[in-house]
Amino acid sequence: MTGLLSVRNLRVWLDRSDGPLTIVDGISFDVAAGHVFGLAGESGSGKTITALALLGLLPEGANVEGTAKLDGHDLLAMPPAQRRRTRGRVIGMVFQDPMSSLHPMLTIELQLTEHIRYQLGFSKKDARRRAIELLTEVRIPDPEAALRGYPHQFSGGMRQRIQIAMGLACEPKLLVADEPTTALDVTVQAGILRLLRRLCLEKNLAVILITHDLGVLSALADTITVMYAGRVVEFGPTEEVIAQSRHPYTRGLLDSLPHPEAADRPLVPIAGEPAGPDSRPAGCAFHPRCRYAIDTCRVEAPLLIEVNPSHAMACPVDPLVASRP
Amino acid sequence: MSAAGRLVGLGVRGFRRTPVAWQNPLAVVGIAVAGAWLLVALFAPVIAPHDPLAPTAALYQAPSWAHPFGTDDVGRDVLSRVLWGARVSIPLALLLVGLAYTIGCTLGGLAGYLGGWVDELIMRGADLFFAVPQILLAMAVVGALGPGLFHAVLAVVVVSWPGPARVVRGLVRTTMQSDFVAVARLVGAPTSRALTVEVLPNVAGPVTVLAALDMGNAILLLSALSFLGLGARPPDAEWGSMVSTGAQHFESWWMGMFPGLAIVSVVLAFNLIGDSLRDTFDPTTTVTPLGK
Amino acid sequence: MSLTTHSGSSTSPRSADSESLGAAFARRRSQHPLIFFVARRLVALVFLCLGVTFMAFVLTHLVPADVAAANLGVHQGSNPVAVRLYNERYGLDKPLPVQYEVYLAHLLHGDLGVSEQSGRPVGDDLAAAIPATAELAITSMILALPIGITLGVVAALRRNRLTDQVLRVLSLAGMSTPQFWLALVALYFFFYLLGWVPGSGRLDAAYPAPPHVTGLFTIDSLLAGQLDIFANAVHHLVLPAAVLAAFNIGLFTRFTRSAVLEVLKNDYVRTARAKGLPEWIIIPRHVLRAAGPPVLTIVGLAFGNVMTGTVLVENIFSWPGIGQYSYASATTLDLPSIVGVMLFFAIVYIVLNLSVDILHGVIDPRLQVT
Repeated sequence: MTGLLSVRNLRVWLDRSDGPLTIVDGISFDVAAGHVFGLAGESGSGKTITALALLGLLPEGANVEGTAKLDGHDLLAMPPAQRRRTRGRVIGMVFQDPMSSLHPMLTIELQLTEHIRYQLGFSKKDARRRAIELLTEVRIPDPEAALRGYPHQFSGGMRQRIQIAMGLACEPKLLVADEPTTALDVTVQAGILRLLRRLCLEKNLAVILITHDLGVLSALADTITVMYAGRVVEFGPTEEVIAQSRHPYTRGLLDSLPHPEAADRPLVPIAGEPAGPDSRPAGCAFHPRCRYAIDTCRVEAPLLIEVNPSHAMACPVDPLVASRP
Repeated sequence: MSAAGRLVGLGVRGFRRTPVAWQNPLAVVGIAVAGAWLLVALFAPVIAPHDPLAPTAALYQAPSWAHPFGTDDVGRDVLSRVLWGARVSIPLALLLVGLAYTIGCTLGGLAGYLGGWVDELIMRGADLFFAVPQILLAMAVVGALGPGLFHAVLAVVVVSWPGPARVVRGLVRTTMQSDFVAVARLVGAPTSRALTVEVLPNVAGPVTVLAALDMGNAILLLSALSFLGLGARPPDAEWGSMVSTGAQHFESWWMGMFPGLAIVSVVLAFNLIGDSLRDTFDPTTTVTPLGK
Repeated sequence: MSLTTHSGSSTSPRSADSESLGAAFARRRSQHPLIFFVARRLVALVFLCLGVTFMAFVLTHLVPADVAAANLGVHQGSNPVAVRLYNERYGLDKPLPVQYEVYLAHLLHGDLGVSEQSGRPVGDDLAAAIPATAELAITSMILALPIGITLGVVAALRRNRLTDQVLRVLSLAGMSTPQFWLALVALYFFFYLLGWVPGSGRLDAAYPAPPHVTGLFTIDSLLAGQLDIFANAVHHLVLPAAVLAAFNIGLFTRFTRSAVLEVLKNDYVRTARAKGLPEWIIIPRHVLRAAGPPVLTIVGLAFGNVMTGTVLVENIFSWPGIGQYSYASATTLDLPSIVGVMLFFAIVYIVLNLSVDILHGVIDPRLQVT
């Protein structure tokens, strides 16, 4: 597969009076055109910050290092003005809560056309035509009327479709969707996911889908990367990660999901609280919550080990082999 | 709140590049200046170099080493008069804000606590005061009572109570409707206890901020009345009336300039304190200053 | 503010069918929400005016002041016959409730009474003074709004940096400076020392007032094509308006700053940035738009500041407006004038708040009543 985005050793940290606070701790991954790249992890794992780092929208005071090459251009080394122009134009973004992410006081038309006009220099008329095209594409009924509306007049699912249309307006190569279905009803979720899948294939679009829900990823993603406490703990093709997950954390995430084929199996939540950026234990950050943890886990941060050429994980204990203590 | 939102929130606290020293030095300046004026008010008889009231032959002298702020139309030392002026404005402003807040908080608390027609009556009454500029009402009251410093203070109290009343009523109402008061009642705590333990602390903070901001407004209003000849009158050493006298002697600019600067510095000090208190109490909420 | 909700039952016809009055009212209300909203406010206005007249009566009679003596002067005031005649003429010998009743009866016929200081109907006095004050107040708001909002945005964007701290001190200084003193300092420099502006009045004595259309000299002179009079009126207007604006510039700066900071926390600002828009589009379009309602709310408060300021500034600049008139009325205990001035301010206050509320609906589509 051809890589569109190639991230290497991405690190994000904050300077605190008591030393640097690492949020994303040297992660690497590749995203291919026409594929959905799934990024999974609990809150505090650094997945959203990773997305914001790619867009250059990190909160003030955050430091970033590493490379993120998109079509060969390093996003992290670009001058700010050029960086800004990649936003919206080369990388589209869809945020979690479509209610708060859309401006409540501006019409859909303005919000959908302003970057088309600014980034691509469209006339007002052309931008409007393009907006109608986009709304049709994301299956909004009566696009003409929708353009005159305001966000509060739409349902949650419709608003998320509008946000996706906004993200796609300038025909970006990469679409980053951060928990795009979390704020929505389950029935609406499926529609949004199908839409993303279709757009990805039709437009040869690369999609980074960020979510805590492996269920969502299993349905949609081509590859899955699982993050914990700012590090990648496992990555691989979706089927492998779901069916043959090797890392205890991935297994924990899967066990906490309802299983369609074994509805009566009890859900097993992962014990303990996820490690936030300011409470990461030494060694493997997951060890306090891990039932397979051995002594080395408490001291040594595990490296990624190749399971096969496309699948790797960072755990010295193989839960498929190890028995429960 | 999304994960990003939480992190951005963390950012506001966690990664501010600005040195911490910048955050509150202005409050320190405010406290220092206000404190200095309090000391001046206490010790004016000791530190003032000249008699503030006795005329001398040295008329209209420009600022010099002997008279740093110059002398006025009857030869009095302007510096001494400005220092003595602190004895008028500051204690009166404290008295006035204390009175207005006692009345306002009581009425507002009653309105918020009792609700019903008491609430309607008090708050509709307060609305009347908001509809007419404070100074106009105060002028009418002084007009009826006759000019004089004491009457001016009364007038400012009469027009100042609705501000705190409205704020306290709102705070009491929201606190009364909050879950923890409901819980306190549920476990059988007497209402008076709920009031002192739950309501009072929630009201005290914002009211302190407002009172600090209103100290400045009270001094401004009182000096304005004196300037108009309705409060303190010559030869009293009061800043507003000194500015008024200075207005008739433009060639001796120091006569009006320095008392005015005194007002600015005191009021600004109180406003700096109030503004920083507001930021400290809750950086997200906006408290409406009461001045009109 | 929320004013009393007075039931508008008088406007609701009693229908012959079984529909109750309340239901008919509710139906009407849902058909014409805006009309009902305005109507409710107008009813509130009537009650507020009634309250203001009452308050003015009570306040000015706190102490049985000797109105006759105040108006007749020292010489006549000691003459018992003159005092008695005066009191009888103005009904001052009757008990307060009767005086109030008489006043209200006149007010219902649009008669505000006769001013004791000018001897003219209070209505005429007000009509002459209002345009002068309106011109001053509007000009000062036109100065204060853009400056204050710009400074507030700058302070918010430079939050906690040096610029922000400097603007904090400057804006608080604007709100801490006595307007009467600022007026004198401004006069001292720009009139006395530099001679750049005239010291008093609305026009030089050499110019006649422009033909009366609005009463605002700047507008009337333009309408009449008298450019020299326009220039002179502006020349007179600039300094007092700037002095009046100082307090509100500070107020707008503080409020805009906190409103903008509040807006910047919202997800939709991040969305706008994610679209690659530059700050010069994001700030006015996305941020200021959302900061509009809270800033608009204090415009009402700001007008109150201007009105307080006019009393002082008009007296210093000899500006023949409401401020000067109300000072003269209060000091001579000219009761009809005092009540008239207060009524005027109350009406301005209500109308202003009503417009602010309607503008809120225009700015914020979520509040639209349709």
